Amino acid sequence: MITFFYNKINKTSLKVNQRGFMVIEILIAISIITISVLSAMAVSQKSIQVSRQALHTTEAAFLLEEGAENARIARDNLWSNFVSINTIEQIGIYTRTVVASSVNRDSTTSDISVSGIDDPDTKLVTVTVAWPEGGTTIVKNLKFYLMNIFNE
Amino acid sequence: MNKFTKNKKGYAILELLFYISFFILVSLVVINAMIVMSQSFKEVTVLSEQLKSGAIMERISREIKQALSINLISSNSLKLNTKDDLDNDKTIEFSFSGTNIEFRENDVLVGNLNTANIIISQLSFTEITTATGKAVKVFLAAKSKNDKYDRQINFYNTIALRGSY
Repeated sequence: MITFFYNKINKTSLKVNQRGFMVIEILIAISIITISVLSAMAVSQKSIQVSRQALHTTEAAFLLEEGAENARIARDNLWSNFVSINTIEQIGIYTRTVVASSVNRDSTTSDISVSGIDDPDTKLVTVTVAWPEGGTTIVKNLKFYLMNIFNE
Repeated sequence: MNKFTKNKKGYAILELLFYISFFILVSLVVINAMIVMSQSFKEVTVLSEQLKSGAIMERISREIKQALSINLISSNSLKLNTKDDLDNDKTIEFSFSGTNIEFRENDVLVGNLNTANIIISQLSFTEITTATGKAVKVFLAAKSKNDKYDRQINFYNTIALRGSY
């Protein structure tokens, strides 16, 4: 009689244990699947962000090119108007600034250098396009020298 | 004995309830993730098409840059005088018709610059005369056919005709 009960209890506890083990197994499987699906979702959302940024960069590249061409056109028109160029424009989400700054040349070699004598016929043009992207601001720069080649 | 079985039964139902609710929660998260993923796939397709419309602007810019002079310009068409590979004179024309940009070489229609999935909503050319030559201001607005939000992408550029220097 005692052994019968003992066997019965033992059997029940084994059964309960086995069921619990299966539930844990399912739980682990579900969490693995969930984590992998969630990480795939995170990757796909990141890909949207990256491709949107690529699109914005392309638009900004055209704005930079346009800024540079505008500076060149201003130079072609009248050098004295071009030297003081300093514009800020807002085009959609983009802010574009075009600044002409003075350039120094070394007194002996005539090369462009940080120190030296100011060359009134050469200007450094800096075109900057900035736009907000997911909480931060992305800034793209384009720097080039323009010279007074038309002698005005 | 009776008490024991009663207790066990209650525990199993509570357990079952917990697991069912947990399973529902997890499946909601997973279904939501699936929806988000399919939406982002569509979004990336739309963005890549919009990016492709930038290539049209690139093409127009390059052709203007190489051109010798402007043959004919109106607010939505531009005809340029240029040279071909064998240094013979030729004309190229970009014209906005309907939702497409038509490209003509020597007045012969070559085709549309945009692919079928890109709708051109606006194209305008403005002539700029400088002291030493000509420049053209170009504005191109494009949309993707697959975009349910109907977003418009604007491209701006100004190009001086290098051939005229």
